[in-house]
Amino acid sequence: MRGISKAFPGVRALDDVSLSVDAGTVQVLLGQNGAGKSTLIRILCGAHHPDAGEILIDGRGVRLHSPADARRLGIAVIFQEFSLVPYLNLAQNIYLGREPRGRIPGTIDHRKMHEEARRLLDGLGLDADTRTPAHELGVAQQQVVEIAKALSQNARILVMDEPTAALSDREIARLFDRIRALKQSGVAIVYISHRLQEIFEIGDRITVLRDGRNVASLAPSETSVDGLVRLMVGRQVTTTWRERFCDTPGDVVLEVRDLHAANGVRAAAVDVNAGEVVGLAGLVGAGRTELARAIFGADRVVSGTVRVAGRPLARGPAGAVRAGVALAPENRKTEGLALMRSVQDNVLVAGLQTLFPAGWYRAAIAARAAADVISRLRIATPSPARLVRFLSGGNQQKVVVGKWLIAGSRLFIFDEPTRGIDVGAKAELYGVIDGLVAGGAAVLMISSELPEVVAVCDRAYVMRDRAIVGELKRRGSRSDNILTEENILRMAMHHGQ
Amino acid sequence: MASEGRAQARHYVRSVPGAGYLLVVLILVFALFGEGFATLPNFLNIGVQGSVLLLLALPMTLIIMSEGLDLSMGAVLSLAGVVLASMLMNGRPLWVALAAAAGVGLAFGVANGVLVVTLGLPPFVATLGTLGIAQGLALVLTGGQSVVGIGDALPALYESRIAGVPFSIVIALLAFLAFWWMLSRTRVGSYVSALGGNREALTLAGVHVDLFHIGIYAAGGLMSGCAALLLTGRMSAGHPTAAIGLEFDAVAAVIVGGTSFERGNGTLAGTLIGVLTIGVLRNGLNVLSVPSSLQVASIGVLVIAALVVDSTIAALGRPAGSRP
Amino acid sequence: MKSLAYRLVAVALMATGLALTTEAFFTGPNLFNVLRQASLTFLIASGLTLTILTAGLDLSVGANVGLSACMAATVMKSSGSIALGVATGLAFGAVVGLANGLMVTALKLPPFIATYGMMWTLNGITYWFMAGETIHGFSPGFRALGSGSWPAPIPPYWPGVPVPIYVMAAFLAAGGVLTRYTTFGHEVYAIGANREAARLSGIPVRARLNLVYTLSGAMAGLAAIVYLARLNSAEADIGEALTLPAIAAVLIGGTSLFGGVGSLTGTLVGALTLTLVVNGMNLRAVDANWQPLVTGAIVLLAVWIDVMTRQRAEARV
Repeated sequence: MRGISKAFPGVRALDDVSLSVDAGTVQVLLGQNGAGKSTLIRILCGAHHPDAGEILIDGRGVRLHSPADARRLGIAVIFQEFSLVPYLNLAQNIYLGREPRGRIPGTIDHRKMHEEARRLLDGLGLDADTRTPAHELGVAQQQVVEIAKALSQNARILVMDEPTAALSDREIARLFDRIRALKQSGVAIVYISHRLQEIFEIGDRITVLRDGRNVASLAPSETSVDGLVRLMVGRQVTTTWRERFCDTPGDVVLEVRDLHAANGVRAAAVDVNAGEVVGLAGLVGAGRTELARAIFGADRVVSGTVRVAGRPLARGPAGAVRAGVALAPENRKTEGLALMRSVQDNVLVAGLQTLFPAGWYRAAIAARAAADVISRLRIATPSPARLVRFLSGGNQQKVVVGKWLIAGSRLFIFDEPTRGIDVGAKAELYGVIDGLVAGGAAVLMISSELPEVVAVCDRAYVMRDRAIVGELKRRGSRSDNILTEENILRMAMHHGQ
Repeated sequence: MASEGRAQARHYVRSVPGAGYLLVVLILVFALFGEGFATLPNFLNIGVQGSVLLLLALPMTLIIMSEGLDLSMGAVLSLAGVVLASMLMNGRPLWVALAAAAGVGLAFGVANGVLVVTLGLPPFVATLGTLGIAQGLALVLTGGQSVVGIGDALPALYESRIAGVPFSIVIALLAFLAFWWMLSRTRVGSYVSALGGNREALTLAGVHVDLFHIGIYAAGGLMSGCAALLLTGRMSAGHPTAAIGLEFDAVAAVIVGGTSFERGNGTLAGTLIGVLTIGVLRNGLNVLSVPSSLQVASIGVLVIAALVVDSTIAALGRPAGSRP
Repeated sequence: MKSLAYRLVAVALMATGLALTTEAFFTGPNLFNVLRQASLTFLIASGLTLTILTAGLDLSVGANVGLSACMAATVMKSSGSIALGVATGLAFGAVVGLANGLMVTALKLPPFIATYGMMWTLNGITYWFMAGETIHGFSPGFRALGSGSWPAPIPPYWPGVPVPIYVMAAFLAAGGVLTRYTTFGHEVYAIGANREAARLSGIPVRARLNLVYTLSGAMAGLAAIVYLARLNSAEADIGEALTLPAIAAVLIGGTSLFGGVGSLTGTLVGALTLTLVVNGMNLRAVDANWQPLVTGAIVLLAVWIDVMTRQRAEARV
């Protein structure tokens, strides 16, 4: 791939990016969230069209109009969400849509299909019976079936997106054996991962992207973990967006001890005090949203305690809201807003019990409360009756935040609050957060944008593999405990044992 | 290879739905408490009564596996029966009349498919609408009366036996074999499961998913039309409301037989067991002099129980609190 | 609001068309008859509106009306007390509604299949309970609820306003208050528009849904009482033909199957529209057998419009 550029409305995802892979090698694609990796891969598999640049296979330019084109040219992508049909057996899954024909027209030659499938699976070292339904296999084995499926389509370029995210150490070792075998047979592999240890083990070359641009392309022998981290992070941030950081935190607002949740969070301990903005950093999949949801009661808690202002929370989101906890979810459109309803209705939805404890809704009071929020947050809308779906991303996020103002929350949990928002709206949102903590509330903020975490938060917890692995402060005795982008990234990635 | 054979056998055993055990229990209970239940003529009766239901339940299995529903089958069957009877009454040869009935069914099936797949209407409402239309047509064509005087050819055919087996059971078995062959020997089986389990995968595989999906509903309509052969033969007449509510039995049979709504799992063997279970339940309750109204009520309870069991099994298989 | 205005205009146009082409339409008795029938349809459809607003569905309303009516009739006859019979009908309807609600919230069954199973169960129980008999002959005071008019008619000047219209008006008003002036009403709309967002905003979704389905059942119970008064008899098949027109009325009225959009006023307009169509067919001596066909076609049309509106809206998000 050469000189690939791609822009989406409002954001430049890729700027003159190049990526090359030789047959029989593993090219690692490395970069933070938002660096452009997934856009590049989607262009490679034919789902998006580049604005500029070209793709060459064996030195010849190709045009990819659709995923079917990409597959025909031998490009196969294995995403994290598998594309297997749960109740079909392995052979059926591998050959879905391309079943070998039997003698009678219209029938399938089952024996041939299973024989071929057996051959593929044996080649990859998986001894599961080809007649088992896919859903009975573990994640690691399903992944092997996905690889077999790609190979059955004569894939010459195999892209693997975070393949080890859900695997145990032993399964990872076997996967690497298979990858080595694939290399031997000449397959070119693009490997996306955050796990630096693995990168050094399996990678032949490393390409680093940052902010949609190529930053480096080197061999593992030419660099180190620290070197990679520095390449990924780039310049040090000097500007801050907070008026005043919190030197003397107030009372404890949130106290979490030894929290285990059904969604995988393990042994989490968190403290948030009034007046503080506490960050929750980590890589995608580290479990930050899961922790937030567990604290809020949206996912089931197995054991441990969550106390707000000293009192344990009642079960479920309703209990959390009653105790003054607010959640602005990661997917604002699907979980935070009712797109088909008006700005006013959305802004009021969490505060109905607070405004009208007796249950009688009075339009005048409601309208005034909504108008108050709209002006406080400067939500740009021609009228409160406008449907939320017409608002810009930034204003939609303000609505999500705004609905908690009426409810009088004292702990705000924000999950990626500035994702997909333009710079101006971001600044406004930071001002809002500032105002909240100045008024005595506490904020727990999940963010994947390292500069943002460093610039906005008083402290930050770093998560990895569904557990908290460390806490960073603005001031500290040791240099690796200070809240910097490098420290966050280092803690967030696998860095030795 | 020996291990493959054993794996296959183990797979078949595990795929027998719980309804199989329920069926055995029901048979034992009724045999014990019902006089005249456990006799060959009665079992043949169950088979004959259940043959129309099986014809409907077979395509319903496919439809439910693909996350759909067809509530119009009973009304379409009644309409087809009326059409069949009318043509016979007018002296047309049997095969012409049957072709007309099948054609009517097919037309409604395709209409259902287009409404659900192309226009995107929710299946239960779309087929509720076509139910009204089919029902209305049947009532209008007959003025609410039965169509009699269909001659002797069809009733004689219906009463006949082939190698000692009643005609309707033969037809039902043929239909079962045809569907079984389609599902296990051709791509239809894989595609139907994929429709319910992971529609994306099918699209990515380059299959004409929409066309296939419509085809499933078309099959439902076609079978409803063909079932008119048995229904009209049994009643020696065509009545506009003869089969109203039969789709409920079909849905019940499919769900009791272990097919789920959203996962793409389902077996024809399970549906067969479901049909037999419903047939045994009705017959047994009859023998015990339980009125047919309560039979319907008990099937309703059975369906709800089967749904609860199904969703419990699904919930157990999924880690709690996990998100896709 | 805009779409409601369009629907009202459509009704007015239909009425005008009928008045111009059919003699018997624009007479006092006929008009009030239309209103009476529309009121009856509205009563069943109002509870159904609530469930559809939450993006759910209650297919068992018709069967619920049937069984509640039979139960109420039986109690009224055997105990001689109207009040007891009415209470039985309401209570029974509400209990069925609660059962539906629990199937949806506690057992997490999809509403359409759960209420479909319930529909057949209720049907069966009704037929068994009535054992082929008919209960008739209720006191004139009770019958006035369904067939009476108030003020009494003074022919030929004053046809008398049928009582069901007052019941309908009362419930329209109550329903309007519920949906617009209570937090419960707003929560219902929020749940329908986006159930997960409502849950994450602190709304106790399961409790609200249970209440919605219970109310739907109670309304069916109430409709059963009024039907009983109108028909002056109870048979097992009262409720069978009621579900499809109720669904049609709700959909025509602009309430979306996808939840969060719609109103009781819309359902009334929908009930009026449907009744006008049927009335027109009756006046022009069209075979009554055409009615299920026409209702079915109308339901399909209404759903299709709903889906198209939704698709166009989602494309512009």
